[in-house]
Amino acid sequence: MAPVLELVGLTKAFGGLTAVNDMSLTVEPGEIVSIIGPNGSGKTTLFNLVSGIYEPDSGDILLEGESIAGLRPDQIQAKGISRTFQMLRLFSNMTVLENVLVGMHSRTKTRLLGAMFRLPWVTREEKEAVARAQEILAFFPGRFSGPRQSQPAASLSYANRRRLEIARALAGEPRILLLDEPVAGMNPAESLEVMQQIRELRDRGQTILMIEHDMKVVLGASDRLIAMDHGVKIAEGDPQDVANDPRVVEAYLGQRDAAAS
Amino acid sequence: MAKSGDKKRGPIATALGRVPRWVYLTAALVLAVLFPLLHSAGLMDMLWIRVAIRSLTFVLLALGLNVVMGETGLLNLGYVAFFAIGAYTTALLSSPSLGFHWSFWPLLVLSMVFAMLAGLLVGLPTLRLRGDYLAIVTLAFGEIVRTVFLNVTSITNGAAGIPAIYTPNIFGWVVTEPPQFYYLILFFVVVVVIALTNVKNSRVGRAWNALREDEIAAIHSGIDATRAKILAMVISAGVAGLAGCLFAYYQSFINPTYFLFMQSVIVVCMVVLGGMGSIPGAVIGAIVLDSLPDVIRATFSDWLPRVFGPTFMASWPAWLQSFFTDFEKYRLLLFGIVVVLVVIFRPEGLLPDTLWRSETHEEDPREQEYTRQTLFDIDEGNQDLEA
Repeated sequence: MAPVLELVGLTKAFGGLTAVNDMSLTVEPGEIVSIIGPNGSGKTTLFNLVSGIYEPDSGDILLEGESIAGLRPDQIQAKGISRTFQMLRLFSNMTVLENVLVGMHSRTKTRLLGAMFRLPWVTREEKEAVARAQEILAFFPGRFSGPRQSQPAASLSYANRRRLEIARALAGEPRILLLDEPVAGMNPAESLEVMQQIRELRDRGQTILMIEHDMKVVLGASDRLIAMDHGVKIAEGDPQDVANDPRVVEAYLGQRDAAAS
Repeated sequence: MAKSGDKKRGPIATALGRVPRWVYLTAALVLAVLFPLLHSAGLMDMLWIRVAIRSLTFVLLALGLNVVMGETGLLNLGYVAFFAIGAYTTALLSSPSLGFHWSFWPLLVLSMVFAMLAGLLVGLPTLRLRGDYLAIVTLAFGEIVRTVFLNVTSITNGAAGIPAIYTPNIFGWVVTEPPQFYYLILFFVVVVVIALTNVKNSRVGRAWNALREDEIAAIHSGIDATRAKILAMVISAGVAGLAGCLFAYYQSFINPTYFLFMQSVIVVCMVVLGGMGSIPGAVIGAIVLDSLPDVIRATFSDWLPRVFGPTFMASWPAWLQSFFTDFEKYRLLLFGIVVVLVVIFRPEGLLPDTLWRSETHEEDPREQEYTRQTLFDIDEGNQDLEA
């Protein structure tokens, strides 16, 4: 089976700074791969390349064998890559349900004239979309029940906003889900819950590529771990091994500290 | 918002909020339909029907601008250009000036199509720009269109304008009297309100709102930003073209001074006053802002003298008397005051979109999130140090 996502020698430089340098990785179907690395190591740039905000200087991005490098973000989302953001980006003044419905944009078809005259099939599609959105929201039991769905996203608690972002990404029925620090800012109990839910998603067959700093979550959820520093991959493999790899420890703590410990 | 906004509301507002929406809509429609009967019954001067026609024309404009400005979040400062294009299309093809006499429906469609083409023309190169640049480009476009109509004298007769536009004949119904025009425009207002409400509550409208809320997140949700914005621009231009067509028929004479930059600004004020993104807001905002100067003038020159006697203002200084009795001259002053008051006391507008309301009153969630993120980063740094 072809890998869901394959990056081949991906490079992106901003002026003199090479943020991502000759980066290659593969994500197999049904796998959770995590990327760790100190601030500025190029993790988010890598996500921005894969999701289409930046175009790579060289290298290629393959989604199930098909090159998607150079496509626009909306095209890439339609092809099957959904993402969340490190700094939350919800549609704050739209309701919880509408946020998820927007995530389904590429999976629904209603066009202007159909919407204007509210043709029968448009009403049917809308009903189906709402049912599907509620199903997705139900993945987070008790968080988005009943009247909460018609409240604006801005009224949600911080952790629920993070959950809603994941729900919106799932609404795009992605072949691979990119999570950028899904538990950032959550307390330990919330982090644990999200971690379990990420594993549950994987058990349902969802392939996931995630950036995360919280080592408990990284070690608890990942099947494979990749460490980056200064735009290059410095370690890859079993999560426990990578976390203990001297190069990784050095990248985080600096050379002298690594020698001391 | 009925649920989360309740704590800020008084008991009356809460009670009013409980009345189902269709009650308000039916009541508004019934009142609007019965309105001209006040004149037939001799209770109201024909002037007020003329005011209502003008207000309804502005309602159409505000509804159209609301699509692009309120729902999609793109500031268009040259909106009157599309209105002008619609009006000139109708005027030129249904008046003796060029010798054409097209009938109503084809001309209505053509006016909309030309306005929409103009919307496409401005939209294609500019909608990739950020909001501020778009505002400048549309402002310039509005002036260019007016200047063209002013200077292509061989066709448009320049500043002298196009006189003697034929009256519309709609399946044998010849529309000549103001009450007839009133019903004609009311019909189109209702049609536009229904169509735009349907669009707003659909995949298309949600894409517009998403772009307004967060463009990055919107494109990563699969929305083609350029395409959606151009669509909003074209729809909004089409509504203005429709309004222009009806306006030309009703006025039976148009010239470039009807399409000054100030008109665009006034429509922007109406959308802001009503509540950005809110369809009922756009209707109310346009009616209030357009009819208020007439209401004030009539209050002081007609209604109050009837109550207190014709000389009740005699002791007032002359300038103050003329200020109220000639209030039409000061309508721009009034607009300025109204908009400033709205921005201070009710930033979400008179009749806000339920969704729009939360942003302006509650703290910006992005700011809270930033604070949390910063705290988290500090915390994380501490943990790293301990490790």
